[in-house]
This record gives sequence, C-alpha cells and structure tokens, in this order.
Amino acid sequence: MLVLSRQRDESIMIGDNIVVTIVDIRGDKVRLGINAPAEIPVHRQEVYEAIQRENLRASRLEPSDTRDIGNLAAKPSNQAPVNKNP
Amino acid sequence: MRISTTRFGRIDVETDDVLHFPSGMPGLEGCREWALLADATNDALGWLQSTNRSDIAIAVVSPRRFVPDYQIRIPRSELTPLRLSDIGQAQVLVVVAQGSRSLTLNLKAPIVINLEARTGRQVVASGDLPMQYELVPERPPLKKSA
Repeated sequence: MLVLSRQRDESIMIGDNIVVTIVDIRGDKVRLGINAPAEIPVHRQEVYEAIQRENLRASRLEPSDTRDIGNLAAKPSNQAPVNKNP
Repeated sequence: MRISTTRFGRIDVETDDVLHFPSGMPGLEGCREWALLADATNDALGWLQSTNRSDIAIAVVSPRRFVPDYQIRIPRSELTPLRLSDIGQAQVLVVVAQGSRSLTLNLKAPIVINLEARTGRQVVASGDLPMQYELVPERPPLKKSA
C-alpha cells in the first residue's frame, strides 16, 4: 500500500482522472472528496464488500428455492422502516 | 443468440434484449451481459442470467410488489453511467437471496435498468436500508364461518 501524508485541502491523484481531496479533518474522522469518472463506482469498502458477499450468496439461488415467493410478503414493522424521510 | 444456462438449459435470447452492465456487479465483475428472463412458474420473479457464465443467474423481483413503501434515493453519480436523468425512467429490481430463516431482498443495493438504452447497474441507495430484508408467508385471510 502506498502511504502518503496530506493536510486539509491537499489532494492525491490516482491515474490521470481520479482526484482524492482531504476536505476536512476533525478528531479521528477524515472527510474525503472524490472526483472520478461516473463509470467508476466509489464506495466505502465495507459496504462494497458486503454487497459482494450478498451477490455471491444470491448467485447460488436455484429456481426450486423460490417456488413459494409468490406467497410471501414483507415482514411487518419489526424490521427497520424502509421509507425514511431525509 | 443461443446461450447455455445451468438452471434453464439452452435458451434463445434476442441480442437486442441483452442488458449491458458496464461495471458488472460487485463480486460478479466479469459478468457484463445479462438476459432478463421471466420465471416459468412465478410471475413475481425474474432471473438475470449471465450470457457468458452459464452457472451465474440472479433472482430479481420488483421491490414494490413485496415492499409497497420502498423508495430509494440514488446519487446522481450513480445514474449518469446509465444515461438516466431521473430514476423515474428506470426499472428498479432487487436481488433475492436465501437467508437463514426466509428468502431475503437486498434493498440497499438495487439494480437499476435503463430499458431504452439496455443498460444496467447495481447501485447503492442512500439511507439505512437492509441488505437482507426478510420475506415471510402472507397470513391467509380469516375464514368466515358458514
């Protein structure tokens, strides 16, 4: 891993079209600004890895596993509400 | 074109019906071309079948069929690669998986499809949405006594 030190408002270039800028540093939290072409997805690593795991799990599903899906509904509100206002 | 699939045997797909995912999907980056198939027995269900990997297929559903109040906020940067200016022009599907207790829907990372351009992408929706939203059997209607 390449390790560089940067201060607030300084930037790093990755390749010739990705720029990462230190927007703010507060305590142990760093706010990063990322400028990248739209086709390049940018995600928090743990979110990306969770989606990867979910997709790989989902890719093992067979039609026989889904036979009863027509009879299923969402679990009522003991799960986190889905429609949160910002 | 004829493609082989491990779940559905060999099937014919119109080249124009194939969806192009420029970034593949996380974990499935090599799969960029997909055919959206209807399930033979379930009209609630579709299958995204990889056209180059016969063993890779993802079960998908229209989320509002199961979660009527499902709404997503997607950063514009996620829509631009699909050449969409607003989410209303898109078809949104969510991925089905087998959880420990029931089938689950990934509401956090829906698949957004631009039907006109035949492109698709799995996006990360803003907000605290579950990746494993559990589906349970519907309660049968109460029986009326004779």
